[in-house]
Amino acid sequence: MSVSRISALGAIALSGALALSACASENNGAAPGAGSTAAGSTASGDCFSGDLKAEGSSAQKNAIDEAIKAYQTACADANIDYQPTGSGAGIKQFIAKQVDFAGSDSALKTEPKDGKIEADDAKASCGTEAWNLPMVTGPIAIAYNVKGVDKLVLDAEVAAKVFDGKITTWNDPAIAALNKGVTLPATPIKVFFRSDESGTTENFTKYLKAAAPEAWSYETGKKWTGKGEGKEKSAGVATATKGQDGGITYVELSYAQQNQLPMAQIDTGSGPVELTAESAGKTIATAKQTGTGNNLALKIDYATKEAGAYPIVLVTYEIVCSKYADAETGKKVKSFLKTFASDEVQQGLEAAGYAPLPTEVATKVQTAVNAIS
Amino acid sequence: MSTATDRRVPGDAAVDDAVAPPGGGPSRDALAEMRNPQRSRAVTDIVARVVMWGAFLVAVVPLVWILGTVVAKGVHMLTSSTWWTGNQRNINSDDFGGGARHAIEGTLQMVGVTALIAVPIGVLTAVYLVEYGRGPLARMISFTVDILSGIPSIVAALFIYAVWVTTFGIGRSGFAASLALVLLMIPVVVRSTEEMLKLVPNELREAAYALGVPKWVTVVKVVLRTAFSGIITGVLLGIARVMGETAPLLILAPYTKNFQRDLFNGNFPTLPMMINQDRGDYALATAAERMWGAALTLILLVLLLNIIGRAIAHLGSVKK
Repeated sequence: MSVSRISALGAIALSGALALSACASENNGAAPGAGSTAAGSTASGDCFSGDLKAEGSSAQKNAIDEAIKAYQTACADANIDYQPTGSGAGIKQFIAKQVDFAGSDSALKTEPKDGKIEADDAKASCGTEAWNLPMVTGPIAIAYNVKGVDKLVLDAEVAAKVFDGKITTWNDPAIAALNKGVTLPATPIKVFFRSDESGTTENFTKYLKAAAPEAWSYETGKKWTGKGEGKEKSAGVATATKGQDGGITYVELSYAQQNQLPMAQIDTGSGPVELTAESAGKTIATAKQTGTGNNLALKIDYATKEAGAYPIVLVTYEIVCSKYADAETGKKVKSFLKTFASDEVQQGLEAAGYAPLPTEVATKVQTAVNAIS
Repeated sequence: MSTATDRRVPGDAAVDDAVAPPGGGPSRDALAEMRNPQRSRAVTDIVARVVMWGAFLVAVVPLVWILGTVVAKGVHMLTSSTWWTGNQRNINSDDFGGGARHAIEGTLQMVGVTALIAVPIGVLTAVYLVEYGRGPLARMISFTVDILSGIPSIVAALFIYAVWVTTFGIGRSGFAASLALVLLMIPVVVRSTEEMLKLVPNELREAAYALGVPKWVTVVKVVLRTAFSGIITGVLLGIARVMGETAPLLILAPYTKNFQRDLFNGNFPTLPMMINQDRGDYALATAAERMWGAALTLILLVLLLNIIGRAIAHLGSVKK
């Protein structure tokens, strides 16, 4: 009989140990910094407690991580999670009510695609209009890795041909013509693209289509239609390019900086423009608002010829319900986005490789955030 | 093939054996005739040995390599003071350190709940199949278990997503992921338990019946008791199978960097998802370190459970 007791005990212990070990330490595992009461200049003074779930664009991950950190530092009881699974996934999960707001590199579509209109689906899911709030502007770098080439100038047409596989070596005359005085090796060009559905891809192809319509014959969209080798997410293409002599990719500035990849200057017709927060901001400032009221969808002029304006930029939006069915959720979203849109957080984003919102856009965003309920 | 070689030429002196005339073997003349065949036997022996050792190395080298890499790259994360106590709250991908306690607890909790559901179902199914099941129903169940064991984890996850999220409209949660893991764990438990129950000698059952013991008591007190240590091994195999499973978590249980003990609401931290999160930024040394640390932690966790399970099986087994 003693064997019976031991074995029964054993069975309980095994299964129980798993579940109980988790519960046993309920109160003693505070995070370093979770309990900190650091002065909350970044917090809007109305901390929520509980969870807030968001998902979407990986282009804004580093930015929203900073904003989350700022918010959570001031609000010890708030847990905010952002899953950087891509704009497409974020919008789908938002419409399926799996997350409280979505991050996206492009505004909700108002035209049908695959028989669905994103904006209408989101509206049906929310019960009220869904708003696109531009929160982070991220310049897209054409990052490359060619031994011995530290400075490279491209224009839209050459870029389109490179990413379409029509130009296959680095010493191609078309590239050489733009880079007088630079010794280009005969290394084959290896294009890396985003294999997941990505707003970065969409904005980059929109640029190619707008600025070089003859050279870029494909449709624009979240899925890459050009040539090359697919890699997952921003980090994937950046890492792949870093590890491949002759590699080239399009990636957000922050990832290019993190991986110390050189970035091509873009010749828009008025001279080569280096990618900086300032040169990207110039392009954003020329953007037109296509949404109405607090729906702040922007239309960027990718073919801009303005001097000193870097044309390949993306605006990443937070997609929110204008009025949440659950008022509590509405408060949480509003409270967090207030922090995100605040000047302190926005200015801090520059160090993380983003461009702050131009002042007039920022003001509109702050007004819209205040109108969320 | 290797067993045949072993039997003919046992031990390390095999080559010598093959060259020297076998004691009590055929006559001198016959032996002379067999010179040639004997040499070919020696060659076969060497070839078989090389192949055997080669296969062994092919199997072991990657294992040692993986373990070595994970330990070498992950171990210093585990010795950091916050690893076992903290979580990843406010630790961005380019920040150093943070803890894994949230994910360790989450994984144990999720796998624990999975085991609580899957083990009774699995063991009872096996008991039915071995002790009671006859005819078409038993065959059908057996067949179904076979199919279930072949289901890819992503399909199990999508099935639960379709039922749990799409049909019933319940949010993604740790428990939903547990349900998908249950689907993956049940066939492992059923199959291994079944094998163990079949090994129980029929004499034991007959002896029990002869003493007038009802069938169910025989099953509980004789059959399951005898097979106990084998069943535990099967359960551990099942747990090891689901513990590092990532596809269901990707689809059903979004990661959180915070402590979260509510399996039913909200995002849920687990080690595989922590690895996945940091994998996204593996170009950054800080994230890569965390990724290796989390991987090593997961391996250690599986190892620890195995040791605990072995100990329980040892203590609980019937003494001969």
